[in-house]
Amino acid sequence: MIITINGRQCEAEHGEFILDVALRNGIQIPTLCHSEALPGLASCRLCIVEVIENNWSKVVASCVYPITSEIEVVTHSEKIKRMRKTLLKLLGARAPQNAYVRKLLAEHEVTPAARFQGDPDENCIMCGLCVSACDKIGAGAISTVYRGIAKKVSTPYDEPSKTCIGCSACAGVCPTGAIKVQESHGKRIIWKKEFELLSCAVCGKPFITPEQIAYLKAKLNQEIDEILCETCKRKAAGERFAQTCADLTASKGLLR
Amino acid sequence: MSESNRPKRTILVCCGTGCLANHSLKIYHKLKELITKAGVDVAVETYIKTTGCNGLCEKGPIVKITPDDIAYFKVKESDVEEIFEKTILQGEVINRLLYLDSVTGKRFKSHKENDFYKRQMKIALRNIGEIDPADIFDYIERGGYESLKKALFTMTPESIIEEVVKSGLRGRGGAGFPTGRKWKQCAGYNNYPKYVLCNGDEGDPGAFMDRSIMEGDPHSIIEGMAICAYALGSNTGFAYIRDEYALAVKNMSNAINKAKEAKFLGENILGSGFNFDIQIVRGGGAFVCGESTALMSSIEGKVGEPRAKYIRSVEKGLWGQPTVLNNVETWANIPVIIEKGGEWYSGIGAPKSTGTKVFSLVGKIRNTGLVEVPMGIALRELIFDIGGGITAGRKFKAVQTGGPSGGCIPESLLDLNVDFDSLTKAGSMMGSGGMIVMDERTCMVDVARYYLNFLAEESCGKCLPCREGIKRMLEILNSICAGKGLAGDIELLQEICATVSEASLCALGKSAPNPVVTTIHYFEDEYLAHIRDKRCPAGVCKELTTYYIDPENCKGCGLCLKNCPAGAVSGQPKSWHSIDQKLCIKCGNCIDNCKFHAVKIR
Ligand SMILES: Cc1cc2nc3c(=O)[nH]c(=O)nc-3n(C[C@H](O)[C@H](O)[C@H](O)COP(=O)(O)O)c2cc1C
Ligand code: SF4
Ligand code: SF4
Ligand code: SF4
Ligand code: FES
Repeated sequence: MIITINGRQCEAEHGEFILDVALRNGIQIPTLCHSEALPGLASCRLCIVEVIENNWSKVVASCVYPITSEIEVVTHSEKIKRMRKTLLKLLGARAPQNAYVRKLLAEHEVTPAARFQGDPDENCIMCGLCVSACDKIGAGAISTVYRGIAKKVSTPYDEPSKTCIGCSACAGVCPTGAIKVQESHGKRIIWKKEFELLSCAVCGKPFITPEQIAYLKAKLNQEIDEILCETCKRKAAGERFAQTCADLTASKGLLR
Repeated sequence: MSESNRPKRTILVCCGTGCLANHSLKIYHKLKELITKAGVDVAVETYIKTTGCNGLCEKGPIVKITPDDIAYFKVKESDVEEIFEKTILQGEVINRLLYLDSVTGKRFKSHKENDFYKRQMKIALRNIGEIDPADIFDYIERGGYESLKKALFTMTPESIIEEVVKSGLRGRGGAGFPTGRKWKQCAGYNNYPKYVLCNGDEGDPGAFMDRSIMEGDPHSIIEGMAICAYALGSNTGFAYIRDEYALAVKNMSNAINKAKEAKFLGENILGSGFNFDIQIVRGGGAFVCGESTALMSSIEGKVGEPRAKYIRSVEKGLWGQPTVLNNVETWANIPVIIEKGGEWYSGIGAPKSTGTKVFSLVGKIRNTGLVEVPMGIALRELIFDIGGGITAGRKFKAVQTGGPSGGCIPESLLDLNVDFDSLTKAGSMMGSGGMIVMDERTCMVDVARYYLNFLAEESCGKCLPCREGIKRMLEILNSICAGKGLAGDIELLQEICATVSEASLCALGKSAPNPVVTTIHYFEDEYLAHIRDKRCPAGVCKELTTYYIDPENCKGCGLCLKNCPAGAVSGQPKSWHSIDQKLCIKCGNCIDNCKFHAVKIR
C-alpha cells in the first residue's frame, strides 16, 4: 500500500513499522532505544511521529507502529519537535554529564534545564537494550528491578550474577556507555563479576571468557578448537576468501 | 422457603471488609448463638447470613432485618441482646440504632428511606447486602442465571451483542469504551481460541466497588462473563483479582465451583453443548497491572508491564488471541441488560453515558461509602444530598475524581453532570468512580504532589516520558511546597505535562499529568501564592504557613492553648491568646480546634 510521510508517497507493506519505511525512503527519525536486532522496546519515545487518519491526528512511536491502512505520517511537525525537545530535556536531567546524551541535546539544540537536580554519575537512560541483549543471548543475568522512578537495571540483588557469562554484549548495545567493562592483566570485570580472559591463538590478545566459550560450544553444539579474536577471525576469513578467489580465477584460467 | 406465605424473617449482618473491621463477625456469632438457643422454646423464624458490603461503611456494622425492613447502623456487640429481645422477639424498633440523617436530624427505620439509599438506583449492586454470596440459591432466587438461560436458549450470539450495543453500556474500568462495540469487534475475528477476562485489579486507592461486587455478588460477574463467552465462542475465561483481596478471591472461587456444580459453568452448560470455564489469577500487586496489556502479560506469567498497543486486544490480546477484557462492574451489568433489554438500560442515565455508575465517596464528607446512581447526576447532588455535605462545617473546595491520575474539580463546576464525557471535558475522568471530597483546609499544590508521589512509585518506569516526567514534576512540586518555587515553574510543569500526556507508552503515563494540569487550571492562584508570595493559603505546607490569632474573633476560650503540643500559645482565660512563632511547629491543631475562626493563616 501507499502511505505518505511528510507529504511524500512511500510504498509500505501491511504490518511494516513506520520507522522502517521512513528509513528506507531516506527520511530520518531520531531513535535511541531502537535496534534492529532487539526490536520492540519503545521506551525512549524519541521516534514519535504524528499519524493522521480520518482527519484525526495521534502521536505514536514510529518504531513499533505497524502500518495497516493508508495513513499520513508527519515526522517533524511543530508539535513533535516541541515534544521531542521536552523528552531530550528530561533525558538531560537524568544523565546530565553523559557525553552521548549531551551530544544528542546539542544536536537538537536543547539546552539542559538548570531547574533539575541531576545525578552527575548517572549514565544509564533506562532504554532497556542491555536487558534485551542479555535475554536474547539466553543468559538472563540482568533485569530491571523496582518500579516507577526508582527503576534500574541490575543483577539479582546487585550481587555478581551466577548466569552472567561475561560476554559484555550488554555493554556493546548500550547507547550511552553506561555499563562499565574493565579489562586488564587478562581479566575482565563486568557487573561486579570477575572473569578470566582467554587469548587469541594468533595475535595473543586476551579477549574471551571461558564461560563464553562454553556457551558457544553449547549453542553451536560443536567443539571450538581454535580461539580467534574478531580481528584475526576476519583476517583469516579474508585470507581464506582471497585464496578461494585466487583458486577460482586460477582454475578458470582467467589470470594472465 | 417457609411454609407460610410470609417470607422468612431474616437478619442480615453486613460482613463486608469495612464492617468486618468493626467486629461485625462477633455480632453475627452472638446473634446466631442467641437465636439457636432461643430457637428451642421461642418459634421465631430467623436465620443469619453474611452479606457483602452495604456501601455505607462509615456507619457500619450494619444489621438489617427483613421483611420488617429495619436497618440498624453502628451496631455494637453490646447492642445484640437488645436487638434480639426487642426487635426479634417483640417486633419493636430500637430508635437509637436507626440511621440518623446528618442534615435533617431525622431517624429512618428502613435503610431504603434515608437519602443515602433513597436517591440510589441499584443495578450493578442489586444483590449486594441482600444475598449471601456463598449461597448460589440466593442468587438464583433473585433471578440469577435466568439471563444466561435466556441467552443460551433463546438468543443468537449476534442478538446478544446487539442488545449490549443497544444498551449503550460503556466500560466501568476507566476508559469508558463501549462494551457492545468491543464485543462486536472481537466477534468479527475468526481466530480461536478467544478469551474473556475480568479486570478485578482495582488499584485506585479509595475505590472499592469492584471488591464489594466480587465479595458480595460474585455470580453476577460469572453470569456476565458466561454470556459474553457464548456470544464470542470463547471457552476460557480468567478473573484477574487484586492480590490483597483475599475475601474476593475466596468468594469468587467458591462461586465458580458452585456455578460448575449447578452446570452454569464447565462442560455442556445447562445441556446447551457450550463449554466455558473461568480461572482465577491473583494480581501482580502493582497499580499498573490493571492496565489491559500489563494485565495480559501478567496472566501470561510475564512481568506485569504495559506494551505498545497499536493492535487492539480484541484482535490480538492474551497469548496473541482475540480477547475481551471488561471490568468487574461492567460484567455485573450484563445479566440485567440481557434480562430487561438494551433499550431499557439505555433509558437510564445520560444519553452518551447510559445506565448507573457506582461511586465510592470518601474524604471530608459526612456519608462515605459506595453509592450507585444514574449517570448524569449533578456533582452537587452526589456530594451534598447523598454524601451529606462537608464534615465539621467546613467549606467544599474540590472533588478529585477518577483515581490517582484523575483531576480536581472546583466548586464552580459543582453543577456538572457526572458522565464520561463531561468529566473528561473538565480535565478529569470517570476512572473507576473514586471521588475524594476535599475541604478548604486542603492545599491544591500539595494534592497534586500527593498524586504524583503515588504515580512516581506506581508507574512501571519503562518509558522515558512517564518515568522522568513524573520524577521532574514531583521535584518541582516538592520544591514549590517547600517554599523554593521559582518563576517559570508553572510553565515548565505545563510543558512536561503536554509531552507526558501524549508521548507516554500507556494510559497511566498519558493520564498522569491530570492532577497537575487540573490544579493549575482551576487553582493557579494557589500555585502563585506559593511561588510568588511564599504563602500556602490553606495552611498545609509547613514552610509557607504562619498561624496567628485574630483578636477580633478570639474569645479567650483556650482551646488552642490546650491543643498546642509545642506550648506555643499563651494567653489568659477570656482574653486574647497569641502564638509564639519561634515555638510554633505548624501542626495546625489550633486552627482545627478553634470554634470561633479566630486562628488565621498568613
Ligand atoms: C494504570 C491503569 C490501571 C488500570 N487499572 C484498572 C483496574 O484496576 N480495573 C479495571 O477494571 N480497569 C483498570 N484499567 C483500565 C483497563 O486498562 C481496561 O480499560 C478495562 O479493564 C477495560 O474494561 P472496561 O471496558 O469494562 O472498563 C486501568 C488502566 C490503566 C491505564
Ligand atoms: S555481560 Fe553478563 S549481563 Fe552483560 S549481556 Fe553478557 S551475560 Fe548479560
Ligand atoms: S545500561 Fe545502557 S543499555 Fe542498559 S538500560 Fe541503561 S542506557 Fe540502556
Ligand atoms: S506510561 Fe508509565 S506505566 Fe505506562 S509503560 Fe510508560 S512508564 Fe510504564
Ligand atoms: S526508538 Fe522508538 S521508542 Fe525508542
